[in-house]
Amino acid sequence: MTAKTSTSGPVGRSVPRLEGRAKVTGSADYVHNLVLPGMLHAKIFRSTVAHGRIRRLDTGPARAVHGVHSVVTGDEIRTVVANPYYGPAFHDQPILALEKVRYAGEPVAVVLAADPHIAEEAAHRIVAEYDELPAVFDEVEAMTSKAIVHEALKPAGTFPDLKHLEGRRNTNVALDFHLRRGDVEAAFAAADHVVEHTFRTQQVLHVPLEPFVSVAEPTGQSLTIHTSSQTPSFVRGEIARLLGWPESRVRVKVPHLGGGFGAKVYVKLEALATALSLLARRPVKVALSMEEQFYTITKHATTLRIKSAVMGDGRITARECEVWWNGGAYADIGPRVTQKSGFTAAGPYDIENVRIASYALYTNLPPAGALRGFGIPQLVWAYECHTDMIARRLAMDPLEVRRRNMLREGRPQATGTVMRDAAIENVLERTATQMDWSRPFDRGDGAIRRGRGIAIGFKASISPTTSVAIVNVYADASCSLYCSTVDMGQGSDTAMAQIAAEVLGTAVESVKVVHPDTDVTPYDMGTLGSRSLYHMGHAVRRAAEDARDKLLALAGELGLSPETTPVPDLFRKKYGMLAGNVVGVGSFIPSYKSPDHDTGLSPDVTPFWMVGATGAEVEVDTETGQVRVTKLVNVADVGKPINPKIVKTQLSSAAIMQLGFTMFEIMNFDAGQVTNASLADYKIPGMLDIPRSMASEAVDTEQHNGPFGAKGVGETGTFSVSPAIANAIEDAVGVRLTSLPLTAEAVYRALRERRGDPLKDE
Amino acid sequence: MTPFELAEPRTLREAAALLDTDEPSVRPIAGGTAVMLMMKMGVLRPARLVSLRSIEKQYSGIVSGPAGELRLGAMTTLSALERSAAALKHAAVISRALRSLSNVRVRNVATVGGHLAHADPHMDLPPVLIALGASVTTLAADASRTFPLEQLYAGYLETTLGRGELIAEVSVPRQGSRRAAYLKCTLRSADDWPALGVAVALDTDGAEVRDARIVVSAATDTPMRLAAAESALRSARVDDAALRRAGDAAADEAAIVSDVHGSAAYKRQLVRVYVARAVRAALAGNPETRD
Repeated sequence: MTAKTSTSGPVGRSVPRLEGRAKVTGSADYVHNLVLPGMLHAKIFRSTVAHGRIRRLDTGPARAVHGVHSVVTGDEIRTVVANPYYGPAFHDQPILALEKVRYAGEPVAVVLAADPHIAEEAAHRIVAEYDELPAVFDEVEAMTSKAIVHEALKPAGTFPDLKHLEGRRNTNVALDFHLRRGDVEAAFAAADHVVEHTFRTQQVLHVPLEPFVSVAEPTGQSLTIHTSSQTPSFVRGEIARLLGWPESRVRVKVPHLGGGFGAKVYVKLEALATALSLLARRPVKVALSMEEQFYTITKHATTLRIKSAVMGDGRITARECEVWWNGGAYADIGPRVTQKSGFTAAGPYDIENVRIASYALYTNLPPAGALRGFGIPQLVWAYECHTDMIARRLAMDPLEVRRRNMLREGRPQATGTVMRDAAIENVLERTATQMDWSRPFDRGDGAIRRGRGIAIGFKASISPTTSVAIVNVYADASCSLYCSTVDMGQGSDTAMAQIAAEVLGTAVESVKVVHPDTDVTPYDMGTLGSRSLYHMGHAVRRAAEDARDKLLALAGELGLSPETTPVPDLFRKKYGMLAGNVVGVGSFIPSYKSPDHDTGLSPDVTPFWMVGATGAEVEVDTETGQVRVTKLVNVADVGKPINPKIVKTQLSSAAIMQLGFTMFEIMNFDAGQVTNASLADYKIPGMLDIPRSMASEAVDTEQHNGPFGAKGVGETGTFSVSPAIANAIEDAVGVRLTSLPLTAEAVYRALRERRGDPLKDE
Repeated sequence: MTPFELAEPRTLREAAALLDTDEPSVRPIAGGTAVMLMMKMGVLRPARLVSLRSIEKQYSGIVSGPAGELRLGAMTTLSALERSAAALKHAAVISRALRSLSNVRVRNVATVGGHLAHADPHMDLPPVLIALGASVTTLAADASRTFPLEQLYAGYLETTLGRGELIAEVSVPRQGSRRAAYLKCTLRSADDWPALGVAVALDTDGAEVRDARIVVSAATDTPMRLAAAESALRSARVDDAALRRAGDAAADEAAIVSDVHGSAAYKRQLVRVYVARAVRAALAGNPETRD
């Protein structure tokens, strides 16, 4: 399975991004720019209550607006999609609300018009009345709340481990995952210290600068969907299922994306666009505004309780974790987050006795799904704050406590899977070196106090998933690479082309990457969870090897030297002219063993581990609580980088994104209604927020079962930013924040508490 | 956004006449940076917009007046003011404040008059210009008046301008040896709206403050002068104790509201700290006017 790099090939070189010129000259394709003949624009009318039965829906005034084509409600959707519920884990989300609304902002009706402004104007005139139902917003309350979001659970058939939830009633628990290892009680009884803390994270948004957009185009007996999606193959399958059509009648095309970050996975607007286009028998575009993104998919708010048994020398002998994930009104991929991330909740530490309980909860908030890290940043926030608090309790160096408990190569992780190619130790040590951890540190004076902190986290790649690729070599030796990986800015086109070019011995520029088009490009599970470079990378490598082997065989068949004959000469001799193709195919699925339902244990839970650590230096203004991150170091195990420059920018961009989630990003709610749904009131980091000193490093390592020693990198830079900064704040001014974001007001209030003079509200 | 009528008068008086109407959704538009956002959000649905872009060129100029004052036409863009050598020489604090005012795309089209008349308390220039003692001259179809800028503001997004009354010009008096500073406190991203703005202008005699003008914005519904803080500094040697008195007085008298940026209690603390820091920054700087 291992392929070695040559010293001169494109793999391992910082090849410039293939799409760079098209993007900076404005010629790259985006769905927002797509205009089709006869196309209608859809504008969504949304619920204003968090939980309620629809008593009356008056669409008459909207229909009366001149220029409106039609107004569509959930009932009309049913005339083209009989059972209009979708979702990757649960078939719980209606295309438009039926009978009930479950969050403020849920789509209730749609206006179609040739002019988007008319559609918007008419949508304002729809009147809805609701009988409000009790609502639940907090994830812990949802465990026992009388307010029930869904009458019955409706797991999708695709995941065998959810089957037992079928038809379960009167619960908001969409999934509970448990892991049990060793004897936790005995270890707690024997411990020198038992340390317990509760942490919280807030609901935040992906904010891709390209908001969601889908265009559905009926084409005779078929349907073409142009969409800004990270999962074209899934969209095809799910739309075919909803329509009861064979997959071959649904075509999904994805050009460039203006960012995804996990927002654009599975079905988002595609089912709505499909139903509308079938009703109108015309192409329909559903394009959200920036504001509407706040009502579509978000990142889970969480509550995390973590308790450790610690010996006097700093050894952690047992850990108990309970995690409540606020999934909002529809499960989306939340149950996968609960399980696939849940099993790492005890951290990258070698702990004999572990008990984890992880709950996916329904609440009456906008749905939560995957966001760059798939739940890992929430978990690392808890366990790495907790680690520093243990160190403080024991008056030990936080680095030393981590060293003492480090999960080392060859040792079993909490699931029982033995760690291989997880450079936890190396990543931690490089972080300490980059931070000059052993050197004296300037702690500031006057109002400004300085501190520093470190944190380290890890993630298992989601498994088992499949990728398929095709390499088509043309007679002139150039080639096309057909792959359904979506380049949403992470540089996958370039990396995949580098791999194909490496195997075929050609220039990267001679490889054309054909963008996802399910009529043309083969299956891929999705561009998510940092899985593409590993899974699709292997598939591309195998497809290219298959093509190469066929070229070699062709040379043999023609009696030509496989080493010295130029490729065009092979085709010329075979076909009498420059004609024909050689097509190579490759697919990949890793080995995997599903965790035991009762214990959560598995000997083979993931094909690879991602490891990311952060070191932070901060300046805290003790008079205002304002925190300035002056230095941010991100160190990661990404295997051997295929493209070192893109790896660095992936690490730094992930860290900057997480910096926003750490310092100030938060969705504010009033009775379930988002009150800051715009970029004026929901701020994301800009250039001026980037720390003065920022470094990203991929440690020198190799993923032995990865393509050319590589593995995924897209999420790794997010893992440890939040706890590293919180740890630095405590180091600077002695206050510990346990909830994100770490706002100036929160720091200032904590400082006043510590002084015994809490800030009184007016 | 729904269709609307766009009028493009050639003179400011004509514009004022067009705005002198009973229809409240008839609004003026200059750079459009605020109006367009409100229209996109659906909070403003005008029947007619009266564009000021074609009015007389004299309202886009920056000139020095006979008494050494700086006169800014209402249609002067913020970037023109930012780059103006005359403004830099007259009151460098204006040029400094503009550098972090919104972003270059907004500054290129937003105008001085629109910036002031929008009456959003998060704007940067109102506190600065009030601290510098600026006055505004307005024009209506048949009248004109001049009054101190601080009297322009009646409440959140509310001015004292009458129906059909438009800002024509802003006049900033000669600053001489006064020293000024503007501190903008953003609590989320660096380019966020301020949670608090503090502008101070000090008339000093050695280490002693002869007169002080202190203005807060953003944390309050309108930009407002802090009289108690000003008198705490007047005729005082500026030392730590005086700064503490001024900060405490400012925190006591500012009418602060809770919002997405923070609680009132917290922002009161910010006022306390930032007023003292702004005074310190002004004293550490150069005299405003460079002859």
